[in-house]
Amino acid sequence: MEIDRIDERTPNQLRPLICSRNVLNRAHGSSSWSQGDTKVLAAVYGPKAGTKKNENPERACIEVIWKPKTGQSGKLEKEYEMILKRTLQSICILTINPNTTTSVIIQVVSDDGALLPCAINAACAALVDAGIPLKHLAVAVCCGLADSGDVMLDPTKLEEQKMKAFTYLVFPNSVFSVLPEGSLQVEGEPVENGIITSVTQGLMSVSFKFVQVEDYLHCIERGRAASAKMSAFLRRSLQSQLPSDTLKAG
Amino acid sequence: MGLPNVSGDFSSEMDVDAFRRLFPLRFYERHLVESIRPDARPLGRARDTTLALGAVTSTDGSALAKIGLTTMLAAIKMEVMTPSIETPDEGCIAIDFHMPPICSPLVRPGRPAEAEPVVSKQLCDTILSSGMINMKELSLISGKAAWMAYLDIYCLDADGALFDAALLSAVAAFSHLQIPVVSMNDDGRVVIISEEHQEGKDPVNKEKRKLTLSSIPFSLTSILHKKYILADPTAEEESIMDTLVTVVLDSSGRLVSLYKPGGTVLAYTSAIQDCIALTRQRVKELRNILDEAVSGMEVD
Amino acid sequence: MAGKAGATPTTYAPSPTTQKTKSLVFKNDDVDWVRPDKRGFQQCRPAFFRTGAVNAASGSAYAEFGNTKVIVSVFGPRESKKAMMYSDVGRLNCNVSYTTFATPIRGQGSDHKEFSSMLHKSLEGAIILETFPKTTVDVFALILESGGSDLPVVISCASVALADAGIMMYDLVASVSVSCIGKNLIIDPILEEESCQDGSLMITCMPSRYEVTQLTVTGEWSAPKISEGVQLCLDACSKLAKIMRSCLKESASSLEE
Repeated sequence: MEIDRIDERTPNQLRPLICSRNVLNRAHGSSSWSQGDTKVLAAVYGPKAGTKKNENPERACIEVIWKPKTGQSGKLEKEYEMILKRTLQSICILTINPNTTTSVIIQVVSDDGALLPCAINAACAALVDAGIPLKHLAVAVCCGLADSGDVMLDPTKLEEQKMKAFTYLVFPNSVFSVLPEGSLQVEGEPVENGIITSVTQGLMSVSFKFVQVEDYLHCIERGRAASAKMSAFLRRSLQSQLPSDTLKAG
Repeated sequence: MGLPNVSGDFSSEMDVDAFRRLFPLRFYERHLVESIRPDARPLGRARDTTLALGAVTSTDGSALAKIGLTTMLAAIKMEVMTPSIETPDEGCIAIDFHMPPICSPLVRPGRPAEAEPVVSKQLCDTILSSGMINMKELSLISGKAAWMAYLDIYCLDADGALFDAALLSAVAAFSHLQIPVVSMNDDGRVVIISEEHQEGKDPVNKEKRKLTLSSIPFSLTSILHKKYILADPTAEEESIMDTLVTVVLDSSGRLVSLYKPGGTVLAYTSAIQDCIALTRQRVKELRNILDEAVSGMEVD
Repeated sequence: MAGKAGATPTTYAPSPTTQKTKSLVFKNDDVDWVRPDKRGFQQCRPAFFRTGAVNAASGSAYAEFGNTKVIVSVFGPRESKKAMMYSDVGRLNCNVSYTTFATPIRGQGSDHKEFSSMLHKSLEGAIILETFPKTTVDVFALILESGGSDLPVVISCASVALADAGIMMYDLVASVSVSCIGKNLIIDPILEEESCQDGSLMITCMPSRYEVTQLTVTGEWSAPKISEGVQLCLDACSKLAKIMRSCLKESASSLEE
């Protein structure tokens, strides 16, 4: 079942991850996140006073601005802004700073596939850097589905184009807890198995009796496994940079 | 609202409408416990859906879809283009979704609604990746002329589940589409042959008046709230509960899209399977509604 | 993705260009020609109104005159824009737009500034603005299909929508236009007739009060023709107002039941 990938990765292998925080001076929080040749910068400003029109003033409001690498933002960027906004809303504790707006600005530096997951990871790290109160972290991963039905994680742009379908999945990171084992389970599944965001593109099909969703469930399974690794990485890289925070405060 | 026992101890002191406006979430949760919604629907039931084909006479194909109060008007205009060099015998589709200021108090002229580009992009992705339309059928003369189908969908009344209604109107407009008979004139332009004078020109596309639609996509949006799943939400429900899941299945049962943009509720495997099961039922309903509308047109 | 070109290629509509020959038919035989839809010169198209077309709005109406189909929604009275100064009378805000498929050649679907301001002018005089101080009433119109005499239909439909929203008015506003083609005056012209007209005249009036809120004359007109045209329009307006009134009564009585 082994399939060849251009960069000789195994199907389950992610590209090298690099995360650095506090990369921008003027922003309240910032991060840069790269997965192979895909790189995104995220900056967080806020919380600033007041909310926008049509937003609930009893909660904190999150605004996302997506800057493409070149040119003006179009429909795709608007969609990404909406997905990112809703995803971040679900991990932030919005009741703490009501009637404020936090702006998240995403600047694409280079796109080599899995752009949206990369931006979500960057935004999440930038929120931590800015000290915005969060319920938990989110980890995003892209699962590509080859014609043969095999799942390939974190595809490059070239692979994405050849894929019959792919799906972006966002999971909460695994929680370390002092509570006894099993107390953090929802419907028999651990919390980190819940899907925050799912976006799919392309047909997913397998010959199955009624509904052919096996492909999708397969993607979720692989995505979850990868997200555990990624959340470990995220935790590591956030912790290692903590001393710099204390320095900054002092 | 016709359910005296639901408001319980509160009803004696407070008007039901006032309670609904002041504590919308609690108002809904009181209903959900009883497995009913304020509009008397069970949780898993979609609103009444109607479809009318040929609503706009000046276009080549059009349809008006209503899901509850949400109303969508889709129309297709066919124009001619020179196909690209990479795909000389394929046509093209351009899909646009509009929310004019008439449809909702939240939309103001000059400032497009937030949902507009998002639904537009979702429709585009869904229709193209479902493979419903074979682009080769839109070809006229290989390398020289092909159809560009402009599909514009207008939201006339916005009351939740915009994507579902927009997708239904879009697929209905395509099934109503009647491609005009055209021929190439002396200047190399493609023109419609009017029925009175045929001028001895050979039509280029005598047989290809209708598109064969293979595997039509249908969708159902549901709200996840706590352990409840509410199918086909209204605008009020969407504003109170923030986790939406849109499942698109095609008529042969393949998953075209599973779209869950964030939301406070996490979706576990069982919830996803339930949403898919609800969509599967809904696809059957929508299929019948579309078939009836199409066969109704043929009788006339 | 398949079928999705990066840049949109240039396209054209394959419709035959027979407009010129048709306008000749209209002009040459002056008296004997019949209108494309077989109507008499002074006969309006059957008018259809229905209120409550858009549930999300405070009031709305749908109007259909032949192929001309419009929807008007009324929102408010609601909070004025923040930038607005204090005003002890209400404000009226109008917007008219076309769908991309309304016209025979696919358009841009953008706002129609001229119609928006004309709609504003013709309604302004009929609404009792004193009844909603500091706030704004928004009247938004969408022309679903353009079949000629678009603006008069929008104006009449807007006044039905205002009544549906419960906005106080001195009277309903009815609007009718006539086209002058050669020696003939034809009322309620369709798109083909408008494209070859020599002049056009539009009146918006409050029939019960016999007051005109707006009168526009464009093109070639002789003085006696103008007064003939005005009279023709005024008569048609009072008939149209009856239809509008009966539509409102019907919806009100169905509410009572």
